[in-house]
Amino acid sequence: MQRRSFLTSAAFLSGIAVAGCVGSGAEGGGGSEDTVLGPPDREYDVDPADLAYPAYGQPIPDFTLPSPLHDRAVSTREYVGERETLLTFVFTRCGGPCPAQTAALARTQAAAAEGGYADEVVFMPITFDPAYDTAGRIREFSEINGADPTAANWQFLRPETPERAKAVVGSESGFAVGFEEAEGGHGGHGGSPDQGEVLEPEAAGEEQSFVHTNLLLLVNRDGFVERAYSPQPPRPDIVITDLEAVREGYE
Amino acid sequence: MRRRDFLAGIGGLAVVGGGAVVATRSQTDESVEPVTVERIDADGDPAGDLRLPERGRPTLLTVFATWCSVCRRTMPEVVAVHDDAGDTQFVSVTNEAIGQTTTRADVADWWESYGGPWPVAVDTDLELTAAFDVRAVPHTVVLDSTNRIVYDEQGEKSAAELRDALASA
Repeated sequence: MQRRSFLTSAAFLSGIAVAGCVGSGAEGGGGSEDTVLGPPDREYDVDPADLAYPAYGQPIPDFTLPSPLHDRAVSTREYVGERETLLTFVFTRCGGPCPAQTAALARTQAAAAEGGYADEVVFMPITFDPAYDTAGRIREFSEINGADPTAANWQFLRPETPERAKAVVGSESGFAVGFEEAEGGHGGHGGSPDQGEVLEPEAAGEEQSFVHTNLLLLVNRDGFVERAYSPQPPRPDIVITDLEAVREGYE
Repeated sequence: MRRRDFLAGIGGLAVVGGGAVVATRSQTDESVEPVTVERIDADGDPAGDLRLPERGRPTLLTVFATWCSVCRRTMPEVVAVHDDAGDTQFVSVTNEAIGQTTTRADVADWWESYGGPWPVAVDTDLELTAAFDVRAVPHTVVLDSTNRIVYDEQGEKSAAELRDALASA
């Protein structure tokens, strides 16, 4: 499949898998044996198997990537068996939803610290723009969006190269989160309604937009997706409520 | 999820950086139940619980985050509306993560730089975020004197649009 058509289909399908829809789960059950939570409410009846990215009830793929804030390598499944994992896919020059997705993780990180379970959950934002996203930019981006980047549970992963980012984040054998550089390369960030802070927006010639699927995954400690929030950044209280419900399911 | 949101989501994906306006939820005839947020000490205002919306006068609520550049740009528009708005409850609330790298003092600093002469608060328990279905910032809500929502929008707003919203409250 050509890259563009893959991106288009990924974007479209992610739109269908909207979390938090009004319509009740028309599937009539359809819960997964591998999850605590029941199936998400969806506007349309979608089989998770038809979604490109790991969706409700599916396992997440295993990739080992550098975690530059902690100077070691971390696997996306490293904490399977021990903790819930929350993943999202961002780039720090993003003026769109990436700061909001990161802020939602940061808000959840704060709730975990307050709730005394900081060492029972792990947060893994993954950049798909490693050429730009150095360790310093990753740290700054984390901080301005409210996270504690020094915490052991904040593992911001950075694929070694753009090619590796494609394989891990973008490919169908990876997380299948479609992304590609926007037409023209220097897309404006001005009016997106849910944007946050663009890192170094005035850096001439360094602005870059990616068109990408928005996805935030809540993965249980058995390594299965409980919730795949897409296409809009999820409300932080919903993420926290879902996470705590999953935790209770293991008690 | 209403169809409009669904379409907006797709649109937003297709035009990252574009000027999409996302309408959030339908106006309803129901009054909103008041929520409690944590007012913070900024510009000499006392810290403490703050209930909103008040009954008996309109309310203009803005939800923001200190990391949000659009919020920074929108705030002067809200200030301009405040200056001739008459008897209206203005309140601004952040629902960002507080207590890690962003502190209450950071919010107060941000507010002293960009905010207006009205209370600023933190949605400590995300009660307001849930009640008003805040999915992105900035998010602006106008309620009439009986606490019914007459305007409920995400994104950058002009003073003119906000004045129109208040005129309908």
